Amino acid sequence: MTRLPLEGIRIADFTWVGAGSYTTKMLADHGADVIKIESSAKVDGIRLSPPFKDGVKGVNRSGYFADRNTSKRSITIDLRTAEGRELARRIVADSDVVANNFTPGTMARFGLAYDDVRQLNPRAVYLAMSMSGDSGPERDFLGYGLTIGALVGIHHLSGLPGREPAGTGTNYPDHIPNPCHSAFAVLAALRHARRTGRGQYLDIAQTEPTIAVLGSAFLEATVNGRDAQPLGNGHLRYAPHGVYRCAGEDRWIAVTVTDDRQWPALQAVLGLPADACPAEWAAEAARHRDREALDALIATATADRDVADLFARLQQAGVPAGAVQDAADVVERDPQLQARDHWVRLEHPEMGETLYNAPPFRLTGTPVTLTRPAPLLGQHTAEICRDVLGLEDEEIARLQAAGVLA
Amino acid sequence: MTASVGDDLTAGPPEQGALAGLRVLDLSGPLGNYCGKLFAELGADVVLVEPPDGTALRHQPPYAGDQPGLESSLPFRYNNTSKRSLRLDLEHPDGQQVFRELAAGADLVIETDSPGRMAARGLGHGRLSRSNPALVTTSITPFGQTGPYADHEASDLVCLAMGGLLYLGGYADGPPVQAGQQQAYAAANLFGAVASMLALTAAETTREGQHVDVSVQESVVMGLENAAQFQDLEGHVRRRTGGRQWRAGAGVFPCADGYVYLLAGGIGGNRFWPNLIAWLDSEEVPRAAELRGDQWGEREFVEAEENRDLFAEVFLPFARQRTKADLYRDAQRWRVPLCPVSRPTDILRSAQLRHRDYFVSVDGPDGLPAVMPGAPYVLSGTPWRLQGRAPRLGEHSVEVLHELGCSAERVAELTRTGVI
Repeated sequence: MTRLPLEGIRIADFTWVGAGSYTTKMLADHGADVIKIESSAKVDGIRLSPPFKDGVKGVNRSGYFADRNTSKRSITIDLRTAEGRELARRIVADSDVVANNFTPGTMARFGLAYDDVRQLNPRAVYLAMSMSGDSGPERDFLGYGLTIGALVGIHHLSGLPGREPAGTGTNYPDHIPNPCHSAFAVLAALRHARRTGRGQYLDIAQTEPTIAVLGSAFLEATVNGRDAQPLGNGHLRYAPHGVYRCAGEDRWIAVTVTDDRQWPALQAVLGLPADACPAEWAAEAARHRDREALDALIATATADRDVADLFARLQQAGVPAGAVQDAADVVERDPQLQARDHWVRLEHPEMGETLYNAPPFRLTGTPVTLTRPAPLLGQHTAEICRDVLGLEDEEIARLQAAGVLA
Repeated sequence: MTASVGDDLTAGPPEQGALAGLRVLDLSGPLGNYCGKLFAELGADVVLVEPPDGTALRHQPPYAGDQPGLESSLPFRYNNTSKRSLRLDLEHPDGQQVFRELAAGADLVIETDSPGRMAARGLGHGRLSRSNPALVTTSITPFGQTGPYADHEASDLVCLAMGGLLYLGGYADGPPVQAGQQQAYAAANLFGAVASMLALTAAETTREGQHVDVSVQESVVMGLENAAQFQDLEGHVRRRTGGRQWRAGAGVFPCADGYVYLLAGGIGGNRFWPNLIAWLDSEEVPRAAELRGDQWGEREFVEAEENRDLFAEVFLPFARQRTKADLYRDAQRWRVPLCPVSRPTDILRSAQLRHRDYFVSVDGPDGLPAVMPGAPYVLSGTPWRLQGRAPRLGEHSVEVLHELGCSAERVAELTRTGVI
């Protein structure tokens, strides 16, 4: 079997909820031994977040949690106890990465601020992902992906002009900008540690990575003196560029023309009447100028069409178009995702066979197959005590009875 | 007192960037230029390899002063800082040869052409790795290199649609609406960067490179939150909720000068609801008492329309009299998850971001400075570092060829034939 890229890397993972857990999931799926340090008294909120297997709530039944925690091991430790903190320190001493997404100061209360960790383990890459970063007037503020998305502008920039902003409908920063920037920074810092033996401290605010993927909206303000506005489904250059209703309940197709050569093909597939389409629409600038009229014409032409059939015909004609797929389409019907084995079904001890995302990329030389579902709360406590901490069974039993491993 | 960020907390001489020594060839456009930028600003040497009419982002608005031109695209200026530009005609056999020589000394190639295009030029991963087995080639394409849609045409909007995120955006009573600023491509750039680093990590230990196949569609799917699991576990298709409270105390609320986003219960456990009540009590908000009780922690109860309405009746009159900045400050004082719905100009004025020196000023090719987002992360030992403005088309062509060992005659010949 091929060695995975991160085999031999150990991560002491204090992250919870969204962005932190998704960061360490990526590392776990690629071979790192990620030890999720949890508390029974203060359970990771996402374990209590829907959806639940069969709709029945339980700390080991959340699909939201499960998908963010594949390939990890879970140990429960009560960090309010001195013995618990000592166990955590021993895991940290033996780790390459120490990760958390608490508000600043929380790790210090456990004796695990960066300065503490550095004394224990100078090679450690220490990842801290608080909402606003570890300094500044908003350093103690709290938020979730949804509120952070509002704070950093993505919410405002997503919606129909003239209506209240709609956002992405998700905790977007948690799923893409924050975990990806964080995983990239950790991998870069691990490279440096490999080459120099020196760890370092990564302070990643959960605001700044999302602002970084909105770069040109800020240049609009600073160069052109304009506040960027939401575009609906439009584009500053291309037209048509929109979402049009098709036959059926809430079915829509996304149609874009990104090259003048695609325009006659679109006209033909949709059967747009020649007398309704001025000749000058052959050129992008004219189509963009008249985009409202163009949108109305297309919407009329798609209204009775079957979305799957129209998608196939437009693609065959070389027009960039796609069905607006809902979760059922994406999970159960999309042949592309099936052909690429994007969805993995794993047997979970309490949830049974359930659905997980494979990574959105294929490392062809070191392929990954997810094998381990999300851990039950504390599922690997004894195992980690034995093989990481070197404890005897008797001592483990004592710590469990004393509530330290809880 | 915590250590201030940015200080080098480790002893010893100043360090190079974490990615110093890596050589990256970025042949991409909107799907990969930000990925290349991430490498450049942690210390890699990144050469943007551009076709004769410039990389695709040079042709994307908005433009500085609304004047289209090779040097004035704002997305280009942002996504290509810290790189050098080599103008190279990869359709010409001599251009292909130059590229093969460059790739022989590179660690990473980032390309976003349609599947098979690079191989047709004799520049596919298999060919390039013959003289450089440790090379990583990252291909970022709308649907990936394989599968029935591999050759489909796409745009950011199409990828957002096919990945399922578009369906979740927009209003309950209207069409799906895209996430702003090309987030399908952003996702692909970001997962492409992570995937490339994973492959480079393997290559640096084993000396074996590989081909990395990134799908924009799948990158978007990663942003579906729990929608796929709702379908799988509860047989429920999540729909868009914009324009209304999707749960009592969760959603956008108008205030005196715009909007705020409130997530009163937090995620899981309803941890912050009591804080909200305490805040409203302290402000003597009428009827706040009606928001008390354990039922406000129950999913069915807070999702019921009458309870969402009740919440709005209590909270809206209070919010309407206050600015988003005031609500943000006060809510946070009471530890309630609420943030303003900021516009870019609000964000440019943020005291927090100013404290962190987040925005950076970069000269444009026209010499005029422009302020843009800076470090997305703070690395204490190997800081993020801007290496300079986005290059002019072909600005470093001769320099890069000289480093490759090309003679003056060969450079002159390549120039004469229009290859560079």
